[in-house]
Amino acid sequence: MRARRRTVFLVALSIVLGLSLAPFAPAVTAQTVDEIIKRGKVIVGVNTTTPIFGLVGSDGQPEGYDPDVARLVGKYLGVQVEFVSVTGANRLPFLLTNRVDMVIALFGITPERAQQIWFSMPYATEAATLVAPASRAVKSVDDLAGLRVGVPRGAMQDLILTPQAAAKKINLMRFDDEATALQAMVSGQIDVVGTGLLVYRTLNRNDPGKNYEVKIVLRPLHFGIGIRRGQIDLLQWLNTFIYTIKNNGELDAISRKWRQLPLEPLPVF
Amino acid sequence: MDYVFQFGVVWREIDALLLGAWLTLRLSALAMVFGLIVGIAGALAKASRYRTLRLIAHTYVEAIRNTPFLVQVLFVYLGLPSVGMRLTPDQAALLAMVINLGAYTTEIVRAGIKAVPAGQIQAGTALGLSRWQIFRFVVCLPALRAVFPALGSQFILVMLASSVVSVISAEELTAVADTIVARNFRSFEVYLIVTGLYLAMCLAFQGAFAVIHRALFARWRA
Repeated sequence: MRARRRTVFLVALSIVLGLSLAPFAPAVTAQTVDEIIKRGKVIVGVNTTTPIFGLVGSDGQPEGYDPDVARLVGKYLGVQVEFVSVTGANRLPFLLTNRVDMVIALFGITPERAQQIWFSMPYATEAATLVAPASRAVKSVDDLAGLRVGVPRGAMQDLILTPQAAAKKINLMRFDDEATALQAMVSGQIDVVGTGLLVYRTLNRNDPGKNYEVKIVLRPLHFGIGIRRGQIDLLQWLNTFIYTIKNNGELDAISRKWRQLPLEPLPVF
Repeated sequence: MDYVFQFGVVWREIDALLLGAWLTLRLSALAMVFGLIVGIAGALAKASRYRTLRLIAHTYVEAIRNTPFLVQVLFVYLGLPSVGMRLTPDQAALLAMVINLGAYTTEIVRAGIKAVPAGQIQAGTALGLSRWQIFRFVVCLPALRAVFPALGSQFILVMLASSVVSVISAEELTAVADTIVARNFRSFEVYLIVTGLYLAMCLAFQGAFAVIHRALFARWRA
């Protein structure tokens, strides 16, 4: 009796241990389109802290422009989509350490980033901007002297402002993600927030009366889907995919749904 | 693995990392001092004969010990401005750390006070010591001595927990590391160095605790 109880205990213990260790198994990510299809799911990194491009919906699932593009990737590959939440700061390490197959997370295309990863053709138009209430007199970066400027760590606004922050006496404050930076804006903890072209609408909806507006466009941007370097097969498929959804109206529908704007002409490369 | 390690690009940032470590050290040291004061006050409140005081201390300890530190940090920085209390990230981080550490320290010090035998206090009264003298020499010091190791490890824990205040843009060690990684993507090298810095700070604090222990309690060693 006692021996049997011990066996039951040991079996239960090993099951529990096995289950708890499962998440630590080495990440198995696909390198080619065939491997993704064979696995039956595509693992996509999305940002869930940014209004319009990615938030967590009421059902706990990511929603927004980027998650919808990811769902189309799944649809056209004929596989399930598994979402992984990434931030501006960790999306590149997540890609490089094989935790995701691709990153669809407001990834602005720059030559510096392209030294580490590959970008697909652009699938969205955006800009790195600075937003503040209408009452704040800011017309250029020089007007930011002495102001508290909150940016998401590692985002384009951070990269553009960091080299000039000290010389121009900008009090640059880096938050772990865009949602916290925007919340700091609403709480009055910062004077100017670094974000995108359209987020001022969300701010005005949630914090009425301040009339948030885009003060400075730091740099126009296009977003690309990020993949690991050397995955020529996946890159070719993604570019074909973006070409298709641009021409069949599906990307335009996503743009109208989340940005309330028709899809602008997107450059190709 | 075909990752090429490049520590050179990270060493170039060592000044920024050390600056971050300095803020971590300052925040932690201040939190330890004020947290201990809050903890002693809390423990006395818990041992008080006034029910209201006991209830307040009890509510504080339970509320803080049963909520995540990250939420406390966000509440202090983003929530308190709604009631007109606006703190800089560093101040908010320090306040959250003091509140958090104070709750844990309350329980630790309370245990120490409970360990002081009643006869010892009666002996103090019999010797004609004042109430303050009894509190200081007969209750507080022996209590702290009894729980010194537990206090030390709690202090170390709050220093390690300070890494989450990067979320409200306090530029402590982890925040600086995250920023560097976001710029050059050398996560392995950066976090390895940061791990070393945290370890060094822990050892430094432990050394300091040992010195304080000797200074305070050495003459009691029979």
